[in-house]
Order: sequence, then structure tokens, then C-alpha cells
Amino acid sequence: MWKTELTASTDHLTCPFCGLACDDLQLEHQDPNGPIDIRNGCETARNAFTQLMAAETRPPMIAGRPVALEETLERCVSRLREARAPLFGGLATDVNGMRAALSLADQCGALLDHVNSDALFRNQLVQQDSGWMTTTLTEARNRADLVVLIGSQWHERFPRLIERVLSPPEALFTETSERRFVLIGPNESQAVPAELRGCIQNVIQIENRQIGALAGLLRGLVAGRPVRADAIPDVNAETLLTLAEQLKSASYALFVWSAAELDFPHAELTVQALSELVRDLNQTTRAAALPLAGTLGDITVNQVCTWQSGYPLRTDFQQQGPRYDPMLNRHQDILARNECDLLLWIAAIPGGGDPPSTDCPTLVLGHPGLLLERPPEVFIPVGVPGIDHPGHWYRSDAACPLPLGQIRDLGLPSVAQILTQLGQRLAQTAQEETPC
Amino acid sequence: MLTKLAGGRLYDPANGIDGEVRDLYIHDGRILHHPPPGETPGQTFDLDGKLVMAGAIDMHTHIGGGKVNIARAMLPEDQRAHRRNRTASTRSGGGHAAPSTLAAGYRYAEMGYTCCFEPAILPINARQSHMEMADTPMVDTGGYAMLGNDDLLLQLMSEGASQETINDYVAWTLHATQCIGIKVVNPGGINAFKFNARTLDVDEQHPHYPLKPRDIIRTLSRAVAELGVPHPLHVHASNLGVPGNRTATLATMAAAEGFPIHLTHIQFHAYGTEGDRHFSSAAAEIAEAVNRLKNVTIDVGQVMFGQTVTISGDSMHQHANHHHAHPHKWTCMDIECEAGCGVIPFRYKDKNFVNALQWAIGLELFLMVEDPWRVFLTTDHPNGAPFTSYPHLIRLLMDRSFRNDQLARIHPDAAAMSLLGSLEREYSLYEIAIMTRAAPARILGLTDRGHLGSGARADLCVYRPSDDAERIFSSPMLVFKNGEVVVEEGRITRPLQGTTQVVRPEYDRAIERRIGDWFDRHHTVRLANFGISDAEMAEGIGSPVEVHPCRPRSVT
Ligand code: SF4
Ligand SMILES: [Zn+2]
Ligand SMILES: [Zn+2]
Repeated sequence: MWKTELTASTDHLTCPFCGLACDDLQLEHQDPNGPIDIRNGCETARNAFTQLMAAETRPPMIAGRPVALEETLERCVSRLREARAPLFGGLATDVNGMRAALSLADQCGALLDHVNSDALFRNQLVQQDSGWMTTTLTEARNRADLVVLIGSQWHERFPRLIERVLSPPEALFTETSERRFVLIGPNESQAVPAELRGCIQNVIQIENRQIGALAGLLRGLVAGRPVRADAIPDVNAETLLTLAEQLKSASYALFVWSAAELDFPHAELTVQALSELVRDLNQTTRAAALPLAGTLGDITVNQVCTWQSGYPLRTDFQQQGPRYDPMLNRHQDILARNECDLLLWIAAIPGGGDPPSTDCPTLVLGHPGLLLERPPEVFIPVGVPGIDHPGHWYRSDAACPLPLGQIRDLGLPSVAQILTQLGQRLAQTAQEETPC
Repeated sequence: MLTKLAGGRLYDPANGIDGEVRDLYIHDGRILHHPPPGETPGQTFDLDGKLVMAGAIDMHTHIGGGKVNIARAMLPEDQRAHRRNRTASTRSGGGHAAPSTLAAGYRYAEMGYTCCFEPAILPINARQSHMEMADTPMVDTGGYAMLGNDDLLLQLMSEGASQETINDYVAWTLHATQCIGIKVVNPGGINAFKFNARTLDVDEQHPHYPLKPRDIIRTLSRAVAELGVPHPLHVHASNLGVPGNRTATLATMAAAEGFPIHLTHIQFHAYGTEGDRHFSSAAAEIAEAVNRLKNVTIDVGQVMFGQTVTISGDSMHQHANHHHAHPHKWTCMDIECEAGCGVIPFRYKDKNFVNALQWAIGLELFLMVEDPWRVFLTTDHPNGAPFTSYPHLIRLLMDRSFRNDQLARIHPDAAAMSLLGSLEREYSLYEIAIMTRAAPARILGLTDRGHLGSGARADLCVYRPSDDAERIFSSPMLVFKNGEVVVEEGRITRPLQGTTQVVRPEYDRAIERRIGDWFDRHHTVRLANFGISDAEMAEGIGSPVEVHPCRPRSVT
């Protein structure tokens, strides 16, 4: 089951197209390489599967010219051997892809960063600086009686959140019909998802940048400190006072946000304000945060990086061991400052992890349908985890690594296989070079 | 090839050998006492009276899983202060209280450990635990699956499900999670915290289910025994760290009603309320109970002074202790209707009365529990201290004058309240070999480990004798894993990957319908994606399984 046995029909396929990692997709197909029929997935998933299955598979290429895989591997090895400061970016891959990336990075002194790291670190810095109180999808589904939805994009970024977590047919410890929702963010009132409309308690119209201030104010109100409830223009004081009371009397208040949409400087302070509010509430009742993430494998590779190196992403191995700097090691800045001399970009999962435009020599391990405007020095097509090869990846809540299956066989190597190959060849050439 | 270890002084309590000089042979990864006919050694190590023991086994160490990784992520300062550079044969890593997987595996091997067990595997997080342990080189691993706060078990028990049904569910959990034992942490308490309860005593009713922690202990300890799982129910008792918790600890022992029960990090559960500060040692009382109750085993969870991080499934008591965080940051999590966790960095200080007394209580327990087969050497890594402090701890146990020197340095009121200064016992090398090798192997059902008998797996270490036990155990001269030399003079010379130790009790598959229905209605993961197959362990996770036998007892 694990290796290459293809799944022709299943009702528990794990979807790799957003951090919810729904694992109940139904798949039917007659010919393993023919068209497929996906059920249960959201529209995003169905489109992504259809596109991927229809996409033309690109061959290995050097400077846009099709070549044998062997030639691309040799070029990668010589580039990696020469490089003094390689950057491994993108990292849209599975657990084993990241394991191999870390091993290779340790071997050749590379820096590692994920395409979504800006969003990831808005949460990570808070966990690191103060800690937080969080929960997971099943717990939230069965327990929350008051749900505070932050921002306005959680719905489109995590399409089945309502169906699977917020508004399930039944819950263990609360009546789902009595579950109440509060929307805080730049929500047009008509944009409220239809499924929730009947249970919305409040919609607080506010720019994302102001949410941190609002959370701070709520902390004050919850604690009964003498703060002015009308301190935020356009936010009704009565509404806030009521919300503070509702939060205190809720049995399990849930705060949901997607850090990806908190796209402004120092958004980690907004996350911090929210998670401090959650912790304050826990002095007398229960509440928890449910930060949404995981798309393109960001949670997955951050987990693996943390257990193998001891640090989260934005870690480099240039001095014989791991060094971590969440500010200085941001890959966009490394490229802009010309602080790397080689970019190895990994984009094995379709959906937005394309390599950045740069003059730095670039090696790309990409999903077979990856179309690039500017051909990189090397392009190696790799399988999509969950489609072309089995693997593991983490759901948004970072507690549930799920198995990914395989539904077709185009003979594509995995990221792990390519990187392991490169590591072995690099070790061999290193041995030949060292006189003993 | 045949390897000869000539003239070593053997400490092999499982076979009653106490410091006799004997030759050993290694062939095909196994220990032999005589060379196979016609074979001559291709390699001979002249040990000349060096100490030979089986590879050490840590039966309770938090080395892999979600909460360990949270601790790593929260503590870059711990990594920064303890970086471990790449060498020709080993990869880089680092950390002390929350080491990276690679650093942990190397360091364990460098101390002579060949097998380590993660004691708190959340079933939903089992893949992560096994992936982390697969990335912990040099040692074989295994884990205990956490039950007793999961809503399915509590629901089944509340409905009055039969013991057979519970047994099936427990057995299914062991299969699905690829574990070797069952652990319960603060029985019912983690679950109760989700209903906003802040304490749950052994005989207190759960806020939602008509159950008491006592019921959970009785039911699970019986299930484990009836299924024939060699390792007794592994219990982190109620009221962790609470002054006066000795009564809960004694009640927990009684709740097993004679079934085997292992109480872990019992130091944190051996507190009285005497004295001006209402905090005192109950070690004498607890040790007396352990000495009397032959179904009880313990590990200590010794505290050592310095910076560490506490990592526990006990979200209830971790949350209660968050004010003590040092540095001041802390995380708690509710997880998947199964359990939870809490991660709190902590610095134990010898001049702090409570910390000093905790240190003394741990040592009192070691010295007052008479049978070394029933007390295991742990610091509950990293909760009492990182596992790297084991050699120091061994010296404290073996060397009374050293111990008394240390006692003189702690908070004087704590020293005055402790019996420690009057305890004369000094552990022997033989007893250390029991508590770090023979006994953990026996209590886990690992028949071919923890001893030097003919046919045993050739996991063994050679130490240089010294008057200073800390020196002996810090840095073995040689460590063999599966018959190969992997460590020389305390340095890794040959990296390797371990395997995962599991048990597979039989059960009635009908239980899967009940579990499947529960998953379909309430979970966000499909049952089909929950269990881990052997092929996935070997090929995907990277740690093949070794199955150890169960010896079922009939249902009474
Ligand atoms: S919500 Fe996300 S994981 Fe679920 S089916 Fe849609 S894209 Fe896939
Ligand atoms: Zn514990
Ligand atoms: Zn523990």
C-alpha cells in the first residue's frame, strides 16, 4: 500500500491543495493515467486536480532546453559544489522532501526558507516570544460555542472550514444550531457565507491593521480595566462591551485567523494581541486559538526543520551547524541583497509557489505542470506528493500529520529522491577531492 | 565476522553476573559466550577488566512528538547555547533541554544508551512521534500511546461498555499507533480541563462524564493486563506538582486493584503539606507503599538544578503552573478530543526552597525504594532535567559523600526538612545495571535486550572503571549496536538508524465499526488514515517495526 500501488478508487484521499488537508476525498478512475472524478472536495480542490491531471508534463531542462535527467543532476551537483552560499527556497514539499532538503542543506551549507514564511512567522514569532493557547480542528468542531472569525479571507483560503469545523451536522459538547459567530475584519456584510448567516451575532467592520488594537481593547474590557470602549473610530462601544461579556460567558470561545491575510508590517503584534486575549480568557473560562495555515506545506516543512535542526525555518547551515535568524534569513531579502550565489527552488505542490524572478543561478524542482516565464538554469520535474507518490503532510493545526496517497504513475521522481541523489553524488565528489 | 571481547568485567543482573571477568563473543549481531565451532575471532578487544554492561535503556524520555517540537520551536536560546557542529560522520543539530532529534540520538549513544521510549504519544500525533524518533539516530525507539482523556474511551466507559470492549479498543490503539505500551496522563483531568475544571482528584467526578479518575485507572490497568501487554499501564497520576498530592498518588496505586501499574516521575507526586511553607517530602510514605505493593513500579523523574523545559500532556496542571515559566513564555494546547499538552520553560534553582526539596525528594525515593528492579532511573527528560544529567545522577546514588556535599549547597531549610543526609545507601554498579538495563528491558518485554546472555542482541557498552561514577557513565570507551562498534571514546564513529519496538495484542475487529462510526460523526480525520501500517513505518516514516510478544491472561 505504501509504495507504488495505485489507488483506483478510494473515499479517503488526502487533498494537498490547502492547509485543511481534507482526507475524505472520493476518487474514481478507470485508467490510472486517464481522467479522474473527485468528489467531496471543494471547488479549489476539483479545479486543482483537474488542471494537474490535464497538464502537459514538462521534461528536465537546462536553460529551457530539454535534456536527460542525468544531465540536470550533474549540473545541479556541480552548482551545489561551487556554491558558497546556496539558498533552498520555496520548499513546497512533503515530510520526506524536507528531510532530504535538510540533509543536503547541512551538507552544503545552505539556508532554508519557505515561500509562505512571511505568513508563517507572524504566528511562529508569537509562539516563540510568548507562547499561546491553541486547539485543533476536531476539538474546535465539537466544543466551540462562540467563534470569532478574524479577517475576511479565511473562507476563500480554507474553503471547507465551515462544513468540516464551524458548522458540522452535530457536535459532541454543544448544539451546533446554537453556536454563535462574530466576524471581525474588513467584511462586507453581504459577503458573510450563506451557511453562517443565521447564526452571526456580530459583524465588526474594521481594517485588518486595526484588529490588534481592538484585541488589546477587548483584553482591557475582559479584565474590567478602565479602558474606553469607544477608542476605535467606527467601532461601536456597546458592541465591544457586549462582546467582552459574551467572551467571558462562553464555555469555549474559538478565535480563527489566517496570518496570510494579515499582510502588513509587524502583523505578529496583531497575532500576539489576539493570543494574549485568548490566554486572558482562560483565567476564568476556556478559549483557544485556531490559526489557519499549512497551505503549500509550510507547517509541514517548518515541523521537520524544527525537529531535525532544532530551529524553525529561516535557518542556515553555513558555519557547520544550524543558525537561525527569522529577520535576516528572509529569502526575499537574501535574494535582494545578493547574499546567496545559488537558488534551489522547490515547488512540488501546485498553487502559487513559483520561483521568484532573480538573476541568481536557479535550479528548480517543480511539479510537472510548472510553467515558468523565464527558464531557470535547471528544471527537474518532480512528482506531486499525494498524487504522484505517497508521503506525509501536516494539517493547519500542526498536530495531525496525514498520509498522502498516490493516484497515478508518470514515473516522476519525488523531491526526496532527487535531493538524496544529489547528496550522495556530492558526498562522492567530496571524497574524491579530499586526499587521504 | 566473529568479534571477541576479552577479559571484561561483566555486570549482567538479568543473568545474576556481578562483576565477573569473562570473555564474550559477538556474531551476527548477537552475543555468544563461546565461539561457534571452527570460527576464530576476526577482531579482538582486550578489555583488561573494563566494565561491560548491556546497552542502557531509557524507558521514559520525551524525545519525539508534537509537544517536544513545540518546546524546540519556543526555545531558540536553548539551541543557540548548545550547538553541535557537523562532523565527517554526523550531522549538525543542537539543544540541551529540547535537543534536535539528531543531537539527542548522538548524545544518547555517546552515553551508552541503545534504546529509548517516548512516553506520551498522542494517537493522532503518532506519525509525528515515529518520524521524529526515526530521525533520532543510533537508538531503537518505541512509545506509549495516551488514552484515558480521549472522549471515545470516556464515552464507552460512561455507557457501561464491557471490559472486553475496552480491551479491544486499547488493543486497536496499540496497533493503529504502533506503540509498545499505554500511558494515561492525569486520568480524565486533561479532558476535564476542556470543560474548565482546574483540578480533578482521584475520587472526584468528571464535570461531564459520570466517571472518576479511579475508574479510568482500574479499567485501563486491567485492560493492559488482560491483553498481556508486558508493560504495565504507565501512569502520570493526578495532581502533578500539587503540595499534598501524596494522597492522590497512594489512591492511584490502590485504583489498579492489584493489576500491574507503573507510576511515572513519582517525585512530582510525592509531596506533603507540612512545615511553614506547606510543602514537604512524602517520599518515605510513598517508598513504603512501593515496597509493600508488588504490582507497583516507579520511575523517579529526578530534578537537577539548571535551565530546562517542562513538556507534558497534562494541560490542566501545566496551565496552572504557567506563572512559573522561565523565561516567561508558555504554550497550552487542546488536541483532537484525545488529550492536550503544555510546554513551560523552567529553571530549577538550588537556593529555591521548593526546587531544592524536589531534588532531595527524588533522591530519597531512589534510596528508600528497596528493590532496584522496581525503580527506574529517569529525570523525565526534560521535565526534571535533560537526560544528559544521568551520569551526575548516578554518582549521587553511588557516592554518599558526594551526595552530602551537594546536599550542603541547597537551600538550608530544604536540607533540614529532608531525610537525605541520614540515608546511607550507596547504589552498586550491579544495581545501576539493573535500573538502567535489566529492569527496563524486563518491564517492556524486550527479551533480547538489557542483558549479556547468549543470544542477546549485541547492544553493549564498555566503560573505564573509575572512583568517579559520573566519569564512568559520561563517556564509554566503546558502544556496540547490533554487534557493530558505533561509539569510541565517547564519540560517534558509525551512525545508524534504529527500529521501532511494538506489541500487537489480539482483539476482536468488531470494535472498528464502533470506532469508525465515532470517527465519521465527530472526527476530522478518516479512520482509514488514522492507523499506521508496517509498510508506512518502514518506507515512509523510516523506522521498521519489531514486534514483541504479548502474554494474554484470561479475562476474569
Ligand atoms: S478545503 Fe482545502 S484541503 Fe479541503 S478539499 Fe478544499 S482545497 Fe482540499
Ligand atoms: Zn508526565
Ligand atoms: Zn514524562
